[in-house]
Amino acid sequence: MAFAYESWILGLRSIRRVYRVPANPISIILFPLIQLFVFSQLFRDIVQLPAFVGEGTYLQYLAPGQVLFTAFFAVAWSGGSLLADYRNGYLDKLRAAPIHRYAILAGELVPLAISVAAMSGTILVVSVLLGAEVATGVPGALLIVVLAAAFGVAWSGVSFIPALVTKNEQATSTFSLLLFPVAFMSTAFVPAELMPDWLQTFNGLNPISYTIEAMRALMNVGFDWPLIGRAALAIAILGLILQGGTLWAFRRLTA
Amino acid sequence: MTAPAVVSAAVPAIEVEALVKVYPGGTRAVDGIDVTVERGEFFAFLGPNGAGKTTTIRILTTLLRATSGHARVLGLDVGREAGTVRRRIGFAMQTVALESLATGRENLEIVGHLHRVPAAELRQRVDELLDLMGLSSVAGKLAGTYSGGMRRRLDLATALVHRPDVLFLDEPTEGLDPQSRSALWDELARINREGTTMLLTTHYMEEADRLCARLAIIDAGRIAVAGTPAELKRAVGADTVTLRLAATDGASTAGAQASAARRLEGFEPLVGLEAIEGGIRLAVHDAEGNIPALLRRLDGDDLHVIGVALEQPDLDDVFLRHTGRHIREEAADQPLELGW
Repeated sequence: MAFAYESWILGLRSIRRVYRVPANPISIILFPLIQLFVFSQLFRDIVQLPAFVGEGTYLQYLAPGQVLFTAFFAVAWSGGSLLADYRNGYLDKLRAAPIHRYAILAGELVPLAISVAAMSGTILVVSVLLGAEVATGVPGALLIVVLAAAFGVAWSGVSFIPALVTKNEQATSTFSLLLFPVAFMSTAFVPAELMPDWLQTFNGLNPISYTIEAMRALMNVGFDWPLIGRAALAIAILGLILQGGTLWAFRRLTA
Repeated sequence: MTAPAVVSAAVPAIEVEALVKVYPGGTRAVDGIDVTVERGEFFAFLGPNGAGKTTTIRILTTLLRATSGHARVLGLDVGREAGTVRRRIGFAMQTVALESLATGRENLEIVGHLHRVPAAELRQRVDELLDLMGLSSVAGKLAGTYSGGMRRRLDLATALVHRPDVLFLDEPTEGLDPQSRSALWDELARINREGTTMLLTTHYMEEADRLCARLAIIDAGRIAVAGTPAELKRAVGADTVTLRLAATDGASTAGAQASAARRLEGFEPLVGLEAIEGGIRLAVHDAEGNIPALLRRLDGDDLHVIGVALEQPDLDDVFLRHTGRHIREEAADQPLELGW
């Protein structure tokens, strides 16, 4: 109970940071938004390739990938606020307060899930407004957003770990940038069949592709539980590794 | 969380015994410190940056584990009973630690909630503190928009929300303009008068001198000397009294100086005399108390004292005496902490 209360109080603080600087979430969703607009036009006719059979318009194919991209971008700098707290002494202030140490971390991660869901949801709504369809209706759309939020929280470790280990803003953002190709090489833009063999092999290991495939099924086909289950498993493994690393780095920093 | 321990008023606020902190790199930041601070006392660690003040205060506030030795706050071991210690202490650090994107009021509420101050009491306490710190009119503005002095005051207020028994202040006026510093000093003195034990670190001598009942001069991880500011200064040596003399009847200054020397022969508190241009410089024990007697001896038909200047040793002299260096020479920036 105490842990939940402390996480709630600290979570409110993190949420305030998001909505009090609207430029942040706006700049995050701008990039997937632009990709959605531009690529859906630029590559409109790509769907005539045999690999796209049954996928409908390219916008329809592109949309789930951009929903996930949003989650990917939204957490790319998530370690920054903890790093700022470390630098200005706020982390010490929290550590000297009578609270559970991990409530500090929970106070970062829970709001992250909420803001990622809000941003990814926005992109999904915009896709629908542009003409994309969600075959599974509102329940499916909600599940897409939940998958995006879960992926975002799991993936945020790629920012938290370098932030807590290097304690350096530049190193942290550079590290996040280096991982951008992982998203671009996923099945966000083209089906795996169109990729060279090595990329196909890579995508067999890419949790981003698994998540996108489940989202795409929810938009185009229906509740494909085996695909959704695989996405959930991929996110769980990713989360276990990256958040395990975050926990380790956090313990190390606050020991 | 453990239940709050019963703490008797007889237990000192802070007890430190043979405290040692060796950092992983091998630096002995704290090298055997012993100190006791009584309840309600205003105590200071005075010393240059890097002397071990911050390390000691970080151990006392449960942020850092000591390598060896004991540290107790209100009788509670800061290592084993950290949770209980945290509920009883307040802590304002060298850097102002605020949530810039929260208002002044929200900053106070966050800390109050984390300390489980009941809602009704918290509302009242927050209003009271905002008023006390002169921040009521900006309570609804984001802390990030505050001036340096306002941020300091708000930071101090966050350390007071839960009415701590012991308040730790690490360089609380660092970076403030003289006016804000003086205002903050008044505030700290008042908080102390209301019963809060204060432990402050500083490298400003005026700060320690003006605020503290007792202080410890800390250098290279050890306490060089401890006592009241007056005691410490007295121990350094005599005060300096500079007299400007005017000779009457056309006699020369040299004559007046010789005459003064003659008259002061056998004056008990006098430990030194030196002729300077236009007068004499004297080394006198407890000059403040002895100046009237001194002047009575000197003033006479052929000799007039037309100016008196009294100079007492300051804490820098005390520091110099005990460490062989000046505080100011040592004041350097904290080393940058690197990751890898």
